Amino acid sequence: MKEIITTKRGVMSRNLFGRAKASRKALIAAVALTTVASMSIILSNGPALAASSKKIGGSVSIWAEWTSTEQQDFKAVLQPFEDSTGITVHYTGKGSNMDTALDAAVAGGSPPAVALVPDPGTLDTLAAKHAIKPLASILGTETKNYGTAWSNLATYKKKLYGVWFKAANKNTVYYNPAVFKAAGISSTPTSWSQLLTDETTIANGGTYAPVSLCTDIGWPVADLFQNLFVKLNGATAYDNLAAHKTKWSSSAVTNTFAEMAQLTGVSGANLLGGMKGALADGSWPNCTTSVFPASGSPTAAMVFEADFLTSNVPSNYTPGNGSSCTLSATASPCYDTFNFPAPTGSAFGADIQGSGDVAMLLTSTRQSKALIKYLASPSAAAIWANLGGFVSPNKKVSLNSYPDSVSKADAKALTSAKAFVFSLDDLQVGWEPALWADMLNVLQNPSTSNVTTVEALMDTQAKAALGH
Amino acid sequence: MTSLTAEGLKVTAPRARQHGWWRRNWVSLAFIAPGIIWLLAIVVYPTIATIRFSLYNESATKFVGLHNFASVFSTDTILTAFKNNVVWVLIFPFFVTFIGLMVAVLTERIRWATAFKAVIVMPIVFSTTASALVWRTIFDLDPHVGVVNAIEQTVSDWFSTPGAYPLNSAIGQTAVSLASFNATGAPGGLLVSKSAVQPGGTVMMGLTRISSATLQTLGAKTPVAPQTIAGGIAGLVWNDFSPSQTSNTTTIVSDEHGLPNLRLSLVNSTGSSVASTVTNSSGDFSFSHVAPGSYHVEVLASNFQTSFVGTFWLGSQSITPTSGLNQTAQSLLSVPLIDLAMIISYIWIWAGFAMVLIGAGLAALNREVLEAAEIDGATEWQTLRRVTIPMLAPVLTVVFVTMVINVLKVFDIILNMAPGSSQGPATTLALSIYNDGFTGGIHSGVASAIAVILFLLVVPVMFWNLRKIKGGSP
Repeated sequence: MKEIITTKRGVMSRNLFGRAKASRKALIAAVALTTVASMSIILSNGPALAASSKKIGGSVSIWAEWTSTEQQDFKAVLQPFEDSTGITVHYTGKGSNMDTALDAAVAGGSPPAVALVPDPGTLDTLAAKHAIKPLASILGTETKNYGTAWSNLATYKKKLYGVWFKAANKNTVYYNPAVFKAAGISSTPTSWSQLLTDETTIANGGTYAPVSLCTDIGWPVADLFQNLFVKLNGATAYDNLAAHKTKWSSSAVTNTFAEMAQLTGVSGANLLGGMKGALADGSWPNCTTSVFPASGSPTAAMVFEADFLTSNVPSNYTPGNGSSCTLSATASPCYDTFNFPAPTGSAFGADIQGSGDVAMLLTSTRQSKALIKYLASPSAAAIWANLGGFVSPNKKVSLNSYPDSVSKADAKALTSAKAFVFSLDDLQVGWEPALWADMLNVLQNPSTSNVTTVEALMDTQAKAALGH
Repeated sequence: MTSLTAEGLKVTAPRARQHGWWRRNWVSLAFIAPGIIWLLAIVVYPTIATIRFSLYNESATKFVGLHNFASVFSTDTILTAFKNNVVWVLIFPFFVTFIGLMVAVLTERIRWATAFKAVIVMPIVFSTTASALVWRTIFDLDPHVGVVNAIEQTVSDWFSTPGAYPLNSAIGQTAVSLASFNATGAPGGLLVSKSAVQPGGTVMMGLTRISSATLQTLGAKTPVAPQTIAGGIAGLVWNDFSPSQTSNTTTIVSDEHGLPNLRLSLVNSTGSSVASTVTNSSGDFSFSHVAPGSYHVEVLASNFQTSFVGTFWLGSQSITPTSGLNQTAQSLLSVPLIDLAMIISYIWIWAGFAMVLIGAGLAALNREVLEAAEIDGATEWQTLRRVTIPMLAPVLTVVFVTMVINVLKVFDIILNMAPGSSQGPATTLALSIYNDGFTGGIHSGVASAIAVILFLLVVPVMFWNLRKIKGGSP
């Protein structure tokens, strides 16, 4: 759900403030046309389509949230499938209404044959209603393309119902290498304590704020909390909290809030513009432009968010190439990323959180089965990987498919994750906005008494919404 | 007459009457039918469906009675929306009617009235989204962007001039947080050297967290280690931060800078100031002819006088005291500052509408009564209060009530004007319907329940207004 709002707001403010920016992706799209052409030749011989290469024909409908650039990219993914099978694919990008639209379509009795939704909760709901079909027999060996963590997220009552096509690694910190250099930091932090030390170093430099914190309606703060929680307490504890088997008033949550307060500093000392500034200018994607400005100098060093952040990085930036990065917005500025660090000695350093889009089969036809099998194949994901702005949880997708070092690192972290947990707030059906508001509340006032009050409130809200 | 005849026929021969009625009216019916079908499809059906949804669970599969309504009144975020609607209804309609009236009365007696009115009316023509974004900029926290804070800054700077090295109070900076080498905080927000110095000795003090922009503006040069002077005290205050040696906080590094224009004071062992000076462009200073004794060097607090930090007009801080209250009480009693900012903006948008309606009412007033008042020696103010306003009462009521309906449904200005962090505290019923029903998952039950409540709130006001407009009495 989150990225939808994100994308929507991102596009909205960009247009309204007239920051006309030819997307980096658009540039790559031109290159992509040639890539796609060559891909389709490879694909027609590929194993994924070997069975269906005898031109099935007919048509199939598919819905997803992607619009504009993402829609073009996804259509590029579908093109080789259409060419080799003769099936016409009718794609509809539903934007932020994806869940609502699908719900209405299922209720109305005319759902699309295949749909991609951004949360596993919808998959469970639809599986419970028998509105989607089990996939194990249809996918065959393609099921082996996914790690256990991902298969579990697409499983309902021991049956596999989904294919995770696109993923977002939220375990990332994006930073401006030139600002790090100007502050005298030569290597990115690998431990939690090093991150705090680096923050102090940047603050001592006096010119840049260490962190531009995205606050928006609270979801970026929830993302930050989730990163910290999983790094401190591990995936099992995280899943328990997501299911409200662990209470919000538990010490694990309290400790996480304490770490978060350390990161932001006393009254937001480490944040751009302090706490007030973070609240006033932390709307998505404004919070990213202070680290990666389209013109002028950056004012902050880093920003915590997932890979969808790169779509808000101005087009004159190149993915981190170390020494040549400059502070000038006109002369080779770059962006780079490092993994959200874990506390020293934590056993959960390789546990990461994120989100993704899962493909489900609603109507079983020859065409729709072929399509979902195609989406599970590494060759389909490789096409979008090559276009940029995309990471696949499919472990068979070669890292060489990714166009730059940043997305390659992102994909590597995602596929090699020891445990993957889904963005917790998206699983809090019924009280997600309240959770976001609570996160903002703790951010502003991390005093022990307030944390206790808010945690008690969160337990009440979770109980009311989840029923336990 | 037709209906009378029809009534008469009804008593005697209903069947015949029906037949005749159809024959007489089929043309009209044929013309009305598309409209009626259209209304049934897009007004009546959705209304009934919404009421039905409000009594069912989230996936609309199970009847839950009034459960959704119960959760509406027990959810703090929705109570906040109710509270904000009340704030809007209490403040907005009154002020917009009042300002509309003032403008309408005043424009009656100026030249170029039409041009003036056109300017006032213009905001209604703009999309609310555009207006909201303009006002969001006007109220921006940064004085370089928001004109309201720019004015506040100008006024604030008259009373307290920022120092050469203003502290950033937005991040809670204090003079002590700048101390790095041989400097410590002292009461009154000044910094004092840790080590004592005798005449003939030197002092070095290192500060950090000075932005490169400040150094550039002040023309800071590479720091030079102070040279001793006979019978005097020499020293250096420098920016103790080197990108090449971030952990070195004791010695001067070539990429560091001296701190120019710092006002310093030499204090003796009893704590009284004996001399003062200002550092040069490389951060050096000296006190000559100092009497024997032990001294400390103070960096005066005036160097660090903070610069203005904007008022967070679009923030959620309450203008009513709510600290210490529980969450529910806070939801119901706090009035976030952003409510006022948005109401001001919304008045700017709608004042023109009020002016046009009231202006039309004014034009239709009986001039003789006004002239009579003038002849009787009534002042302008008396005429306005005792004659014009009472005679305009019906129009004023219509404007007022229309505005009440308008703000019960207020939505787009909040969505576009409130920064993300204030969206929750500034929400209204209409915005809650949208957020609960269409974003972040589907909660059709609760969203429909809010819609039904909002409908019940608007309907009586609307009927009353319709009757008023038609000329009937309420």
